[in-house]
Amino acid sequence: MTVLILTSEQDVTADMAVAVLYERGVPVMRLDPADLPGKAVLSADYAHGDFDGHLSVNGHVLSMGGLRSVWVRRPGEPAAHAEHASAWLTAETRQALYGMLYSATTRWMNHPRNAEQARYKPWQLRVAHRSGFAVPPTVITTAPRVAQQFAEVHQDVVVKSASGPPPDDPTLALPTTLIGPGADFSAVAAGPALLQRYVPKRADIRLTCVGSRLFGARKRAAPGQVDGRYGDTGYVWEATEVPDRIANSVHEYLTLSGLAYAAFDFAEDEEGLWWFLECNQGGQFGFVELETGQPIAEAVALWLAQRAMDRRAPESRR
Amino acid sequence: MRPFTLNYALSRGLPAVVTPYHFDASLQLNVLPDGRPAVSDRDLLLAVGTTTSTAGSQTHFDD
Repeated sequence: MTVLILTSEQDVTADMAVAVLYERGVPVMRLDPADLPGKAVLSADYAHGDFDGHLSVNGHVLSMGGLRSVWVRRPGEPAAHAEHASAWLTAETRQALYGMLYSATTRWMNHPRNAEQARYKPWQLRVAHRSGFAVPPTVITTAPRVAQQFAEVHQDVVVKSASGPPPDDPTLALPTTLIGPGADFSAVAAGPALLQRYVPKRADIRLTCVGSRLFGARKRAAPGQVDGRYGDTGYVWEATEVPDRIANSVHEYLTLSGLAYAAFDFAEDEEGLWWFLECNQGGQFGFVELETGQPIAEAVALWLAQRAMDRRAPESRR
Repeated sequence: MRPFTLNYALSRGLPAVVTPYHFDASLQLNVLPDGRPAVSDRDLLLAVGTTTSTAGSQTHFDD
């Protein structure tokens, strides 16, 4: 039974889990959907009331009957590397690949259906509410007056992108940024703005969840630091205990979202309270493991290596 | 009109990450020039920065 890993060749974080799977003798196929068609080959048969499918790439062959689990790590767009790449070819290839994989009975980390929904930051805030997290007041709006009022009420307000920097300009970064006094909000009418009350923090928290296993990591924040991803403060990530209240909320969040893997970001305030910022369903974990020594890749590998005992049961949290 | 959020964008220059490893299709792992898996050199991975939460931000925003 083989673990299928959908990711790019350059994804060295995936390597960390692949190495553990090899150590444990678990067969692995690593496929970048961008290489289909071309380097990778696919066939799926639907006949006589039955189904089977096969994938091959780099000399490795996988039958859908032998599929143990799928890890959706950093997959490229289907057909992105094809000789005659086009939006249509991507759509056709997505149908062929994911249609075949959905036809198989397997475990997903994370199922694309759940991952798609989990990427929406406004939805994350609502699920965080329902899970019992402390969530900073937030608004997403295209109304300049609403944005202005939000800033007047909460004073210190940050702006953040919901979807990341513009994908067509690799030179741009969009760190979470404090809006200074006297900001002109008229441009909110030109695009949704996500504004959030600033949480003065003493540390950033990264909480990586693999099934039911939690790995808490903490990095001290520099005075006035807003976005912990940017700027070298000299502080490093260190393992930290996860409070029971947070662990309970995390489990509720994962149940509601159907995620098997998630990386939560929190801001720890001066009183030690963890404020929910976001939940990254495909969040990086390599840097946390390398700095803290926490065995996250091993946890991922063990989750992927499990065999489903009852394939009719929900599978995200086992 | 430029969307409000983009008023807070920063130019970070073109990423110039040169990875000292390459993908070995038969092993399905990235390997160093001497043939060892790249993951065997954790200090190097940290130094290269390809496992950080901003490493994939242009293609996968949920890092």
